[in-house]
Amino acid sequence: MPAAKGWAMSAEIKIRYGDFRRETSVRKVAISYSKLTRLKAKAGGGPSRVRLGPRDLWRILAPYVGVRFKDQLLAVTPLAVYLVLFQILILRQGVEDAWMVAGGLVATIVGLMLFIEGLRVGLMPFGERIGHALPQRSPLSVVLMVAFALGVGVTYAEPAIGALKTAGAIVEFHRAPLLHALLDRWADALVLVVGLGVGLAAVVGMLMFVRGWPIKPIIFAATVPVLALTAWMSGVPQLADVVPLAWDCGGVTTGPVTVPLVLALGIGVASAAGRGESSTAGFGIVTLASLFPVLGVLLLGLAVWLGAPPIAPAEVAHGVPPWWEVSPWAEVVGGLRAVVPLVAFLIVVARQVAKVEIEERVVVAYGILLAVVGMVIFNLGLTYGLTLLGGQSGAAVPGAFAVSPAIHGSPLYPGSLGIAVALAFALMLGFGATLAEPALDALGRTVETLTNGAFRKSGLIYAVAAGVGAGLGLGVVKMVFGVPLAWMLVPGYALALVLTALSTREVASIAWDSAGVTTGPVTVPLVLAMGLGFGHTVGAVEGFGMLAMASVCPILSVLVLGLWVRLRTTRLRPASAGAMA
Amino acid sequence: MTRQIPVLTDVHLITCIVQRGRADAVVRTAVEAGAEGATVHYARGTGMRQNLGVLSAAVNAEKEVITVAVSREQLNHVFERMFIAGQLDTPGMGFMYVVAVEKAATHIPPEIIDKLTSHD
Repeated sequence: MPAAKGWAMSAEIKIRYGDFRRETSVRKVAISYSKLTRLKAKAGGGPSRVRLGPRDLWRILAPYVGVRFKDQLLAVTPLAVYLVLFQILILRQGVEDAWMVAGGLVATIVGLMLFIEGLRVGLMPFGERIGHALPQRSPLSVVLMVAFALGVGVTYAEPAIGALKTAGAIVEFHRAPLLHALLDRWADALVLVVGLGVGLAAVVGMLMFVRGWPIKPIIFAATVPVLALTAWMSGVPQLADVVPLAWDCGGVTTGPVTVPLVLALGIGVASAAGRGESSTAGFGIVTLASLFPVLGVLLLGLAVWLGAPPIAPAEVAHGVPPWWEVSPWAEVVGGLRAVVPLVAFLIVVARQVAKVEIEERVVVAYGILLAVVGMVIFNLGLTYGLTLLGGQSGAAVPGAFAVSPAIHGSPLYPGSLGIAVALAFALMLGFGATLAEPALDALGRTVETLTNGAFRKSGLIYAVAAGVGAGLGLGVVKMVFGVPLAWMLVPGYALALVLTALSTREVASIAWDSAGVTTGPVTVPLVLAMGLGFGHTVGAVEGFGMLAMASVCPILSVLVLGLWVRLRTTRLRPASAGAMA
Repeated sequence: MTRQIPVLTDVHLITCIVQRGRADAVVRTAVEAGAEGATVHYARGTGMRQNLGVLSAAVNAEKEVITVAVSREQLNHVFERMFIAGQLDTPGMGFMYVVAVEKAATHIPPEIIDKLTSHD
């Protein structure tokens, strides 16, 4: 210290800064750990209950709840804000029942948060344990039966399936008799058929896991019959209405319950079969789970048409519905019916067939309770928030180009400009909603690792988002100009098959699965309600088909991106080929 | 010509185990308190979480293990700050400890080496 020299005469006290800090900072008590363990041994040695103060509770719970709330908030809010802003700024139209919609949206967020956490804590442990233990204890046929039953069960638990039922309520009998019959008298059969489709997909998926079947032939084998049936049925006037509904059902199934539970089972089965967790294990099931239900619904439509021609519903019967069919009790009953049978099934299989003990029973019970409560709140939010808002937007957007009773002074924009506004609305909605989808982020990361970085995460996300945007845009075109859905679906899937044949196995499975990932629990009800409101206003027979288009376009865009990436890397290869070899 | 390796002494290693996702806040505090950097790796463990009952669902069983090397003079300050940032006085939040390191080595700028060694 050069400055100290001048002060050599004066009395100087030197204090080390470290000592100063030690004295002035936190007070410390030294406790011997030996004393602590001695004390514990005297008390009996077992695990001691912890006493938690309010501060501790806050510290434990605040981040736990906060993170989960934020996830759902980020998935729901951008969509709602976009819809409201579009309605106010472009269509100069306020939101009706704004407080109810806002309350419903909050209920959606809270309900999804609780449900997904309940799924993680309460149901996933079952799926994983069963998947591990079952193949060791039981023959393959039992495993396949469990997979099938699980596929059916998860369909009932899927939050978006309820949206399909409510969405069909607006279809008028005299304009689309068969469609009306399917959604009204045959509604339970419809859900059952979708469930059977998912069950079948789970069985084929398990076989893929165990036997190591390649994905591409299975895609071909599953798609071609569905396409042929679609093409034939849209040629028959009475049957044509069913096609869009069937394809939308395919999008509904691959939600947040089906995919993780079936995958957990599949991965357990695969590791027990000695195949380990190969990098593309799990891809493909999602695709099948959206194709087989389409086939099921098409066949159901055919059967209903052949067996019992739809008769006009007796209006008198719809007097006063029983209390359990009136909101809010209908949502409560629906929530219970969705979760309780699935849980009961999982418990029975775990106890009786797989013979596994579930540890941490309190936590599992808590998870199941959360799942049920979450499902009920989510259903309420769906009825009062998302469906209401989506329906309003769907009814308001056509006001841009056509006379709409909902909008004062419509059409707001002349001729083709109005249609362009409606198209832009659908494009941006699909693009934005997909970017916000959390499942896509996870898929993107997997893909980047799988392809050693050649296929960028952001590339995949933008490709899928662009695909969904284009799909919704085409859905609008379908409804405005009354183009039959099959005219778009059949060429779209045919092109997808050609591109699949040209692509590598990895890219093909990624592309087909990305379509399922996009149709989450928020997007599906919103798009369904909007499509129906839109279709209703422009006078289309039905408003289905938007989800279907939002499923095929991402397949195409991801396949094209995959081919482009490969083309670029092979062109670059000559420079580095020597080094690689 | 013999190579010179500057070896650091008086180094202490703080290890702090927190729930997955919470290491960043602790590392930031450690760096603010004077640490040069930190290493984080993932781990899994048992402990207090098993005694929490239903609340154990709120405590992530997957952990992040933070290791920070500090000098003897920084040790207490950084240790306390990390304890407070990690909220370790709440059950289930984690565990931390310090071990003395016999020697350590890394890049040290030559002019600093000159400055430190010329004094002696």
